[in-house]
Order: sequence, then C-alpha cells, then structure tokens
Amino acid sequence: MSKQLYRLGPLLLVVIGVAAALAARGLGLGELSTPGPGLWPFMVSILLTVTGVVLLVIDDPADYEPWTRGTLGIALGLVSLGAFILLFQAIGFLVSAMLMLLFWLRIFAREPWRWAVPLAVIGALVFHLLFVEALAVPFPDGIVFAPARG
Amino acid sequence: MEILDGIGQGFSVALDPTNLLYVFLGVLIGTVIGVLPGLGPTATIALLLPLTYEIDPTTAIILLAGIYYGSMYGGTITSVLLQLPGEAASVVTTFDGYQMAKQGRAGPALGIAAVGSWIGGTLAVIGLTLLAPPLADLAVEFGPPEYVALTALGILLVTYLGTRHPVKSLSMAALGLLLATIGQDAITGTTRFTFDQISLFDGLDFVAVAMGLFGVGEILHNVEKTEKAQAVVGKIKNIWPSREDFRASAGPIARGSVIGFFIGVLPGGGGVISSLASYATEKRRAKDPTRFGKGAIEGVAGPETANNASSTSAFIPLLTLGIPANVVLALIFGALLIQGVTPGPQLISQNPEIFWGVIASMYIGNAMLLALNIPLVGFFVQLLRVRSGILASFALLVTMAGVFSVNNDPFDMWVVLVFGIIGWLMKKTGFEPGPLVLAFVLGSILERAFRQSMLLSGGEFSIFLTRPMSGVLFAAMALVITVSTLTALRRRRRSRPATPGEEDLAAADATAEPEGTPGAESVDRDARTPGTGERDDRA
Repeated sequence: MSKQLYRLGPLLLVVIGVAAALAARGLGLGELSTPGPGLWPFMVSILLTVTGVVLLVIDDPADYEPWTRGTLGIALGLVSLGAFILLFQAIGFLVSAMLMLLFWLRIFAREPWRWAVPLAVIGALVFHLLFVEALAVPFPDGIVFAPARG
Repeated sequence: MEILDGIGQGFSVALDPTNLLYVFLGVLIGTVIGVLPGLGPTATIALLLPLTYEIDPTTAIILLAGIYYGSMYGGTITSVLLQLPGEAASVVTTFDGYQMAKQGRAGPALGIAAVGSWIGGTLAVIGLTLLAPPLADLAVEFGPPEYVALTALGILLVTYLGTRHPVKSLSMAALGLLLATIGQDAITGTTRFTFDQISLFDGLDFVAVAMGLFGVGEILHNVEKTEKAQAVVGKIKNIWPSREDFRASAGPIARGSVIGFFIGVLPGGGGVISSLASYATEKRRAKDPTRFGKGAIEGVAGPETANNASSTSAFIPLLTLGIPANVVLALIFGALLIQGVTPGPQLISQNPEIFWGVIASMYIGNAMLLALNIPLVGFFVQLLRVRSGILASFALLVTMAGVFSVNNDPFDMWVVLVFGIIGWLMKKTGFEPGPLVLAFVLGSILERAFRQSMLLSGGEFSIFLTRPMSGVLFAAMALVITVSTLTALRRRRRSRPATPGEEDLAAADATAEPEGTPGAESVDRDARTPGTGERDDRA
C-alpha cells in the first residue's frame, strides 16, 4: 500500500481537474464562436485532468522524497507561520516578529540562546524601523508603539 | 540611426544617480545571494517584489536584472571553492573549477570566470541591442492568434526544455493557467472560482503566489535538508589569470558567448543548459579531453561565459515579444505588469526609457561586476560563514512583512502561506513550481488572445494554422512534442543520455536543476544524512 502512496499527488491533480471542469461547465461554456466565461477554464481543466491521468500511470516513484522527522518539523514551522499571521493581526508587528524569529532561530536554526535572543530582538527592531518608519507600511496597531522614539 | 539614439537615451537613463545606485545594489545583492547557499535568484527576486512597488518601473527592472546576472557571478565562487554551486547554472563549474582550487589555482579559476562572464555578458548585451528592435518591429504585426501561438510555445518550451519531467511540468502549467482564471472574467464580468470570497474577486495576487511558491516553499525545503557547515578555504592568490590562461580560454570564451546567447533567447533555455552545452563543446574540441574534470581552465571559462551570456539574452523575448523565457524572467514580467507596463512589441515605442534604460544598465552592471569580483572575492567568501538557518528565519519574516505591504491586506499573507505549503510539497514530490508561475503570469494574456481569436474566426480553430506566423509557431510546437516524445521513448528502451553534457552531470552525481534554483542541493548529496533528515552540523 505505502508503495502506491506516491500516486496521491497525480490523483489530487485529477480530482482538481475534474472538479474545475464541472464548475467551469456551470459557468457557461458558450459557443466556440462566442466563448462563454467557462470555456477557457474548462479547456485548461481538461488538460490538467489528462496530464494527471498520464502521471498516475507513468510517474517515477523515485521523484518523491521520503517523509522524515524533518518533515514533521516543517509542519511545526508552518503552524508557527500561521500563528505569526494571527498574532500580527492582533498585536502588531514588533512583538510577533520577535517571537517568530526567536522560535525559528532556536528550533530550526538551532542557535544557542545567547545568539537567538539578541538576533530576534535586533532583527525585529530593524525590520520594524524599515517597514514602519522608512517605508511607512501601515501595520496593524501594536501593543508596543514605535519603541525607537521611547 | 535608431539604435544609436536609443542606446544614447538608455545611457542617460542608466547613468541617473538613482539608477546607478540600483544597478550597483542589484549586482551586489545578486553576487551575495549567488554565494549564499539556499537562496537562489528566484527566491530573492520573489522576496524583493514588494519593494518594486515603491520605485519607478525602470529602476525596478534594472535592480531585478542586476540580481539575475549578478547571481551568475556569485554562484561561481562557491562552485570553485567548495564544490557547492551557489545557484543552479554553476553546477558545471564544479567539475573543473573545484579541481583547479585543489591544485592551488582557485585564483585564476575565479579570475577567468569573472573575465569570461564580463565578456559573455557584454557581447550578449550588444546582441540584444542589435537584435531586439527588428524583432519588436516584426512582432508589432502580431494579432491575437499569433499571441496564442507565441504564449503557448513559450509555456511549452519551458515545460519541455527546462525541466526533468515534461508531463509533470505540463500539468503544473495547466494548474497555473487554471489558477489564473480565478476572479472576475475580464470580458463578461462573471466571477469564477471565487467561492464567494471578496478577496478573490480580483484574482490571486501574483506577488503573493510567487513569494509563497519560491520564497517560502524553497526556504522550507532547504530547512528540511541538512547542510553541513563547510570549512572555508584560506587566502586566494593570483586572481588575475596568467597570459597562458588567457590564451587557453580565449576560444572557450568566444564560443561560450555565442552558445550562451542563442540558448538564452530560446524559451526554456537559460543558464544551466547553456553552461552544459558549452562544457560539452569544449570537451569535444579539446586535443586531450581527459584533462576535463581534472582542472582544465577551458572547462571553467566556457560555461561561465555561456551562463552569463544566456542570462542577458533571455531578456530578448521578454522585451520584444512579451514572453518570459524562464522563471526568473517570468517574475520580472510580473513586476512590470504590477507597474502597469505590459512588456511586448510596443514596449520599445511606448516605454523607450524602460527598454533602452535596462539595456544600458546591463553594460554598466557587467562592468561593475568585473570591478567588484576581482578585488572582493575574499570578502564574498566570508559570506559563507552565514548560517543557513539564520538566513531562513529572516527571509521568512521579510516575506511575510513584505507581502502585507503590497496591498496592506493580511489575506495575502495567508495566500503566501498556502502557496508556501504547496511549493514545499511540490519540491518534495518532484513537481516544479517554475512552469506553474510562468503559466499563471501568462494565463490571462493567453485566455484573452484565445477568445479574441475565436471571435475573429467565428469559432474556427483553423485560424491558428492558416495565418503564416502562427502556423509556423504551431508547427514548431508540434515538432517539439514529437521529437521529445520520440527521444523519451528511445531513452526508455536504451537508457542513453541524449542532452549534451548530461553524462558529465551524471558522473558528478548531479541533476540539471531548473533555472534560478539555489543549486547547493544538487551536488551536495553526501553532506546529508540519508533517510533520517536529522541535522548533524551543530547538535
């Protein structure tokens, strides 16, 4: 069973292709002489489906990298990025950036605390100055306001 | 003299202090990221896309172009010193460059690469200067059917030439075309595939998609891999090659310029293929081919010249036809679209300052690179001390903050994250993000041209075949498909390499990475602990 697992990729493409083709038909294909909004997406979905089916048959399993403990780490990293976006919307850039950098530097870069903490604090401050002060990007209001002035 | 006037105007644009600063920044950033493992030109340009909103379109393209050809120089440094190509096109340089370094000749290897790159780059700019205007004149006549043919050929060639698995790439191109249809239909106003999300009405943001796939996806994929901390070699002496070295390299540099120029123009060509072709040519022409792989300077001079020439000539189809020849150019194309400039045959007459300004900046940028590289190699080598984990952490933060700054909309941050996941999964499963992004950029152009053609012809597909230009282009497409299918079948029967230089790659246990990827992973196989994925450099 696990030997066939790599076929999930092409299978997903086929599913997307068929779903999109059906949805495109719902949009109205029109005539070839007067194409409707669905015609082009329909053609493209068919191409996706056909290539997906071909891949189901011919794809080389050696192309697929094994899932490892490192992979699990990446999943954790993705969750941390999602958490960063939520935090960013809630409490602004500075603190969330510091936390995110600290997390990544400590967990993924495996920097010791004596490097990770100063890098995270200084990094977040520098990017805050760059984006907010220099480029005037309106980040959501933070719980710490422009510490550079304080 | 239209061209002389143009180039004069171009230099007046390029010599403007702001533009001079940006071309310098571009080539400097390019060299730096070329050296740094794990961050290729594609990821860097994707990360910097938001910045291009803030600046003038000409300046933006000057910066991005500088990064692209600058990275070709930078990638050489790590190839020669550590046998680690800093970006994909420098893989070939590891064959002989690293051997030269082992024999204590790292200096001349880097020197001849810099000189060759400069010559190749400059000759390619001259070719671009001369060839682009007539090509654009020809393309002004193009109607919708020609655009369908041209765009489809571009996508097809990129999926066939630049990648390892044409069918996989083709399916990604189809997915890219499909993603491009999300949002309001430009002709009827119907919303398509928006799932009632208002944020999707304008379609997916190109910057967010590109930053997710290339920036986040590539960073995640590299973090997952273990990269061993490398010992940095000592002082490099005698950078300027000897007279003998120059004599041996003159031929390879001349041939490399020509090979690189023509392969670069071809969609799907670009750095890797041109340097491979040049290496194979030099090896075939050599009196004693066994010297190759053991430190032959010709094996460094030719390919390095070729990859730089090709990274310059790749601008020809973009600036004249509006067709990006590879992924990096697709990003630059996207950057122009963001600025409200559509590259194509009209560019030369409507935005001469962009067209000629960018070309002139390339003369200046290539000269700057030569001046930077010869004295500063020692400094660039020090950059290898930067640990890739730290780099990844900061790059991710810049990505997130950067994409927010484009529309000041947190929705785009989620798009980046989702496409980051998709990009990482694609890398893991051998699907390449390049064709997807290229198709995504070209999707709306292709669709509009297709629908206009259908309206023109009253629904007859024959319109694509009866008009001379589009007929020729479609014939070319049919040829590409037939030839590649036949070679694939033949290769399956007797597993013999077909592409020139492929045997050299196989010998080095490397594969041809697509354009713009950070090449570090392709040769550095033994540095990973197989199967575990555990980091073993600093426990």
